[in-house]
Amino acid sequence: MAEVKAVTPNNKEDMPEEIPGVMTTSSSAISDFLKKTKAQDLINWGRKNSLWFTVNAMGCCGVELLSTGMAHYDTDRFGIIPRNSPRHADVLIISGYVTKKYLPALQRIWDQMPAPKWVICFGDCAISGGPFYESYSTAQNIDEIFPVDVYVPGCPPRCEALIQAFVELQQKIAAKKDKGTEY
Amino acid sequence: MDAKTMIDSLSSQFTGTIYDVSVESDIRIIAKVKPENVKDICRYLKDKLSFGHLCCEFAVDYPNRNEIEVVYVIGSYDHPVVLTLKAILPRDNPEIESVVPVYWNANWYERETYELFGVKYLNHPDLRPLVLPREMLGEWPLRKDYKGFPNKTARNLV
Repeated sequence: MAEVKAVTPNNKEDMPEEIPGVMTTSSSAISDFLKKTKAQDLINWGRKNSLWFTVNAMGCCGVELLSTGMAHYDTDRFGIIPRNSPRHADVLIISGYVTKKYLPALQRIWDQMPAPKWVICFGDCAISGGPFYESYSTAQNIDEIFPVDVYVPGCPPRCEALIQAFVELQQKIAAKKDKGTEY
Repeated sequence: MDAKTMIDSLSSQFTGTIYDVSVESDIRIIAKVKPENVKDICRYLKDKLSFGHLCCEFAVDYPNRNEIEVVYVIGSYDHPVVLTLKAILPRDNPEIESVVPVYWNANWYERETYELFGVKYLNHPDLRPLVLPREMLGEWPLRKDYKGFPNKTARNLV
């Protein structure tokens, strides 16, 4: 397995050299300023209506995750689109047990996703371990590792439950209560 | 050939290395074997008695008896008999001859059993780690006295 390096985007040394005619910055002063103004409401309206999610089906719940993205439920009408690359995605859905062997890969997916990003814990296994509670091979207490916004209990939860989770996530983003962005 | 004649042929060929034979029914035989002869017995089963299919191979831990049992379940494509072979190993230093030269599909079974129980397979072609993450190697997590279970878990439930 390749070594995953720590990402430090706000580090001056990592900035590329000067590009002529282009102003580059490593500070987040503009977005910090916007967070205090009414403009953030407009930004959040845009964000909450295009929640693209990663397709990483990790267990049996993954089947529900896949069928949610398909034509029958037609989540495109809410702006919820399955994406195959984490670079395109806004929402990471932890859809199953996280084994100790898979956890580095999942963290790498999370690091590859561009901010703003959110996490949904989908299914009992992701929330508490489910039947793999106190197992030697699963990583426990996922909420300490990822900033989870919405928990969806069930074994597995139905596709409607996942859509409900997205609606709740949209409400959290609109209310500026989500953990994906720091207010 | 039925189960009785099979087990008679086997015991006459390997006198003393097969013991505790019980014929449970027409299609089920259970026998215990000496660990050092298991490869020869498997070779004989495959060549002479047409037991061509190793269904599974695994281990069972008995901490009270201080033993680890390696279990071979062998079936056939020609007759309905399923044979269960058990080899008893000491728990401190479990070592057994690999049956990969006879049944090639035992390769991954033995790699997994080695990781989870610590049963060392001699003359195995490729005893690399298979299932466990690197930091858990050598902990033998399926042994009964394994202590590494997480104890701070499921805080969301309580």
